[in-house]
Amino acid sequence: MSSRYAIPELPPDVDDPAMSAGFSDQLIAVLPRLRRFARGLTGSATEADDLVQAACERALSRMEQFQEGTRFDSWMFRIVQTIWIDQLRARNVRKEDGEIDGERLGSDEAMRRVEARIALAEVRRAVSRLPIEQRTALLLVTVEGMSYKEAAEIAKVPVGTIMSRLARARVALQAQLDAGGGLRRSVDDAETR
Amino acid sequence: MQKPGEELLVAYLDGELDEAQRSEVEAWLGHDNTAREQLARLSETASLLRAAFDEVLREEVPERLIAAARGESAADRLRDAEILPFRPTRRVSGFAGGRHWWIAVPVAASFFGLMIGGGLGYFGLGKAPAEDKQVAVSSASTNSWLDNVAGYHKLFVSAAAGENSFADIPANGDEVIQKISQRTSQAGVRVPNLKPWGLIFQGARVVVIEGRPAAQLVYTADNQAVGSAIGPLTVVIGSSKRADVTPTFERRQDVNILYWRRKGHAYAIVGQADPGYMWNLVNDIAYQLDAI
Repeated sequence: MSSRYAIPELPPDVDDPAMSAGFSDQLIAVLPRLRRFARGLTGSATEADDLVQAACERALSRMEQFQEGTRFDSWMFRIVQTIWIDQLRARNVRKEDGEIDGERLGSDEAMRRVEARIALAEVRRAVSRLPIEQRTALLLVTVEGMSYKEAAEIAKVPVGTIMSRLARARVALQAQLDAGGGLRRSVDDAETR
Repeated sequence: MQKPGEELLVAYLDGELDEAQRSEVEAWLGHDNTAREQLARLSETASLLRAAFDEVLREEVPERLIAAARGESAADRLRDAEILPFRPTRRVSGFAGGRHWWIAVPVAASFFGLMIGGGLGYFGLGKAPAEDKQVAVSSASTNSWLDNVAGYHKLFVSAAAGENSFADIPANGDEVIQKISQRTSQAGVRVPNLKPWGLIFQGARVVVIEGRPAAQLVYTADNQAVGSAIGPLTVVIGSSKRADVTPTFERRQDVNILYWRRKGHAYAIVGQADPGYMWNLVNDIAYQLDAI
């Protein structure tokens, strides 16, 4: 994990205004990574920011539940993931088979046409087609650089489950990119960035 | 030897195997070209995946998220968006009145402690209810602006630790001033030269404060030995419809802020340096920027 986002430990005295300010400071510091994680989960910039905002509000309301000595970023990722799962359940759009939600695709069509010019957008779209469980494991481990154990704690599943979800996700992603011819183009573009 | 499955290959790539499993996979990779190619493709896909999402880190964090992280409610933000005439007499002011107020700034710095005491005492005096309300709303609006300025500074310090890459507009570009002007819709923006103060301009970011674009100029200390004492420092230049106000000191979120408004612009110097040092900077920066 990159040291530029190293988070100091949070003291437990949440009634102290200075400590609350420290909590907010940690939250602000981790916002860019929360946005990246949320973008991967939702596939939409607006939805991702809404999700992060909801996570911030929940975190502040449950500040006392954060355990001293544990990783603040992991705690926040868990909140983001939990809220996203709750939202999916509420909307009844959870896609166990990886099918894309047609309505969301339709509403994002204009944006997708623009993004099509950016080769890496193809990778993000491929990720959005993965089932949510695989997507979460992939984002936590491969993008956020967390260990299997940390990802398992956030997703509240055994390490072995993370391992199998990751393998399925990586193979499926590779197959999608190969099928679309996007991998080669994306690599070329990524190298010229 | 049994062919390892995809799970083992991926876990090997992620560094999650124990010694025995790793040896087993490596032995198998040593004599299986197909497995090596598969491993390379998996590695390539992982790199692509990181690249695809890393650009989110370079995006500006929306103001609403910073507000949410600070626990500001939607009602707070709505109220803070109101812009009312600011009343400098209610604040801790650097120097009241006078066209060339910056000349007096070092003197004002000398009396800084005294002014804080005086200012706080003045807040305790009786006021008419209507005036109270207006000052409260005005203060809330200014508070929001200052909190945003402090938040953006802390975001810069914590997220980038002074790296040049944090700036959207690099300092070494010939068109840096033009780009800042274009992106913030402010004509004739200048970048203060703070080299005499030991600060090097590293670039600029465009931030949004109270719904208006503003330039956040980023400076770092040119001497590592004193770097932690004076830098990093950010200078915010935004537009404002509110009345002019002379330099005023505030401390927000453990960050020192010196702000002022002049001729339709709002300025702030933000950092954790000694307030006296920052007061002296105000004098110079205001002089350099006054022609905006």
